Amino acid sequence: MNDERATVLFVDDEERILRSLRMQFRGRYDVLTAGSGAEAIEVVRGRLVHAVVSDQRMPGMLGAELLSRVRDISPATMRLLLTGYSDMQAIVASVNEGEIFRFIEKPWQPQRLLEAVEQAVQIARRELAVPAPVVVAAAPEGPGIKLLTIDEDPATYALVRELAGVRHDVQYATTLESALAVLSEQEIAIVIAGLKHRSDDVIGALKTLKRYSPGTLTIAVSPLGDSYGLIELINQGQIYRFLPKPLSRELLRRSLQSAIDHYRRIKVAPALAARHAVEEPAASAAEPPATLSARLLGYWRRIRDNGRIQQSA
Amino acid sequence: MHTQGAGSRTVARRPSGIPVEPMNSAVQPVAALAPASASPARPSTASVELRVDSLCQWLEPAAPTASVLAVGERFLDAASAPWLSLPVVDDGRPVGSVSRYELMQRVYIKPFGRELYGRRAIASVMHMQPLVIAADATIEEASRTIAARIRQPIMEDFLIVDADGLYVGMGKVLDVLGAMEQRMAAHSHELERAYHQLKSSQAQLVQSEKMASLGQMVAGVAHEINTPLGYVRNNVEMTKESLGELRGLLGAYEQVVDFFADGGDEARLAAHLQELDLRREKFDPASLDDLAGLLDDTVFGVGQISELVGNLKDFSRLDQAHVSRVDVHQLIESALKIGGNLLRKKNVEVVRRFGTVPEIVCSPAQINQVLLNLVTNATQAIDHEQGRITIRTHAVGQYLMIAVEDNGAGIPAEHLARIFDPFFTTKPIGQGTGLGLSICYQIIEQHQGRIRAVSTPGVGTRFFIALPIRGKAEATP
Repeated sequence: MNDERATVLFVDDEERILRSLRMQFRGRYDVLTAGSGAEAIEVVRGRLVHAVVSDQRMPGMLGAELLSRVRDISPATMRLLLTGYSDMQAIVASVNEGEIFRFIEKPWQPQRLLEAVEQAVQIARRELAVPAPVVVAAAPEGPGIKLLTIDEDPATYALVRELAGVRHDVQYATTLESALAVLSEQEIAIVIAGLKHRSDDVIGALKTLKRYSPGTLTIAVSPLGDSYGLIELINQGQIYRFLPKPLSRELLRRSLQSAIDHYRRIKVAPALAARHAVEEPAASAAEPPATLSARLLGYWRRIRDNGRIQQSA
Repeated sequence: MHTQGAGSRTVARRPSGIPVEPMNSAVQPVAALAPASASPARPSTASVELRVDSLCQWLEPAAPTASVLAVGERFLDAASAPWLSLPVVDDGRPVGSVSRYELMQRVYIKPFGRELYGRRAIASVMHMQPLVIAADATIEEASRTIAARIRQPIMEDFLIVDADGLYVGMGKVLDVLGAMEQRMAAHSHELERAYHQLKSSQAQLVQSEKMASLGQMVAGVAHEINTPLGYVRNNVEMTKESLGELRGLLGAYEQVVDFFADGGDEARLAAHLQELDLRREKFDPASLDDLAGLLDDTVFGVGQISELVGNLKDFSRLDQAHVSRVDVHQLIESALKIGGNLLRKKNVEVVRRFGTVPEIVCSPAQINQVLLNLVTNATQAIDHEQGRITIRTHAVGQYLMIAVEDNGAGIPAEHLARIFDPFFTTKPIGQGTGLGLSICYQIIEQHQGRIRAVSTPGVGTRFFIALPIRGKAEATP
């Protein structure tokens, strides 16, 4: 596609990490390193960077904050977090503020890191190859879109319904099957999903959904809990936002607004959807779990085939 | 009989009064504490409160008009045998009592007493202020009334009246004493239980404080370990890869060398040379230098990890009061290392003003815990960007002084007096049990040292520790 080498910036306050990463990647990319968030911001301001891989815990500026600022300076730059301790706060911030592509834990597997960085670089390259996507001024008068709430707790639906106002259509499902039925028949822009479900594997479904319909944005809602599941939801489910329960009205309002804006941008520039490409799950669980009936599998196929927004690859 | 029945009822019901929930209290020590500490205040629950009516026995009263002789005869009845006195009741209301002793003294022992007084009404010789106690009074109230009113020596029992003041029976002073004694025994038993519960609750709280700081520590330590582990692993993998390439290169060289040794056709040599070129192209000899650098980093990283694990091991032995002669500066460095993550996170500068001090005899693990606690508290007190913690050491006579000073928020005077109190905390719920400093205090006291704090709100706080250089005066058991 492009003969020029891509540029990758690594940020860490431990120089040995940077030295090691430089060795690992210098054969493939122009490798830049920065020892702090402030230094990294200077680099991103000064030149084109395809991907930034940052540590989370650094003095001065946390990784999530850095990536959020990188997003503002250079929206096309892909953002990855490489961190040694996954406290819940850091993970949630990396989703909601950093809108990161991957969350990778230290010590990392060299091959997995390589694949993640390569995928990020490819996406950035593709995006940069097409004329810069017109930054859609969030047209408040755009057509209404469809939202789907999946939660056993009707309060979630009530709040989404209220915040979405009259212009947007909000569907409500309490089970995965009814949700899939809706998804297979209508173009759903945003899914607001409660992760805790008595019987259904909502997390698994969100991951599968992103593979079949990358343009659909998901807002996960859950009591703070298992950080491991959340990291998987980032890497394999590319959730757009994570909101802790009990839901904060203001947080949900802002999340819905930016999801709606983001969805409209993707509609205008479908290449953007590629930014939400997901990692293949480690196991061969690429297809929906065997426990799901053939009927559910049928839904998934229809969702994929209907895929109004597909990767432009 | 009644007394005993009532007493055993108290004992039987007590277990339900104080819940014993070791499982719950392990999870929520504070919750378990509540009933234990409440118990001494309200020793026996209201439901088992012993009342006077439980001691009440019917004893036929005498009318005030009854003759002295007739009443005297009554004392010979089997029914009267256990009683010290007989009630005198007029129209249902107690008007007096006649004690066996007094009747003897006043009538029967006197010469011609029977003849002189025998036919008179009993009202003329009875005691006009009998002991009267309401049936619904508690045993405690009864015993107070008895103590206040009774005449010495004890020669009467008491009359029991209902809410309307009507005579319902008699009670024995001795039974009240018996009930009280049982009560006291039960109380002291409850107190003992409460004491034991309190003691074990406190032990659990100490443990949970340790666990809370352990949790914080694990978070920091996981990060500290995973960082070197990250590059160590990456470096090892890269070295492995390079070794593979190196082996291929060596193999290619070998083929060429073997060819010259063993001979063969030229086409094969060309093929060998071509492979060699390929391998050489792939392998950059300069990368060997880089690899050497990576391996240096790796050795360094592994050293860091083992140092951290070593520090953790020191801290895991908190309970062992193993005493040895140590360099306090090493303990300080160790505490700074363990607390290092928090320090870096807050960007706090650590200033060391170490004096020339001798080694001291102490329990290193415990002093470590104290120092870590002080450093952590100091860091937590800082909520601005120019955070600084100054640690000073110097020797004064037989004591080694350590001062830990921060430029954080400071402690208001009304809190300063209480900081060493167990359970006193100003941290948000869940972040501290309020035991950290009280444990520090205990540890320093055990070392026969002193710990004090001075603070100016808005300027900072300084903790002083003085430790005897030669350790505790007597040998540790």
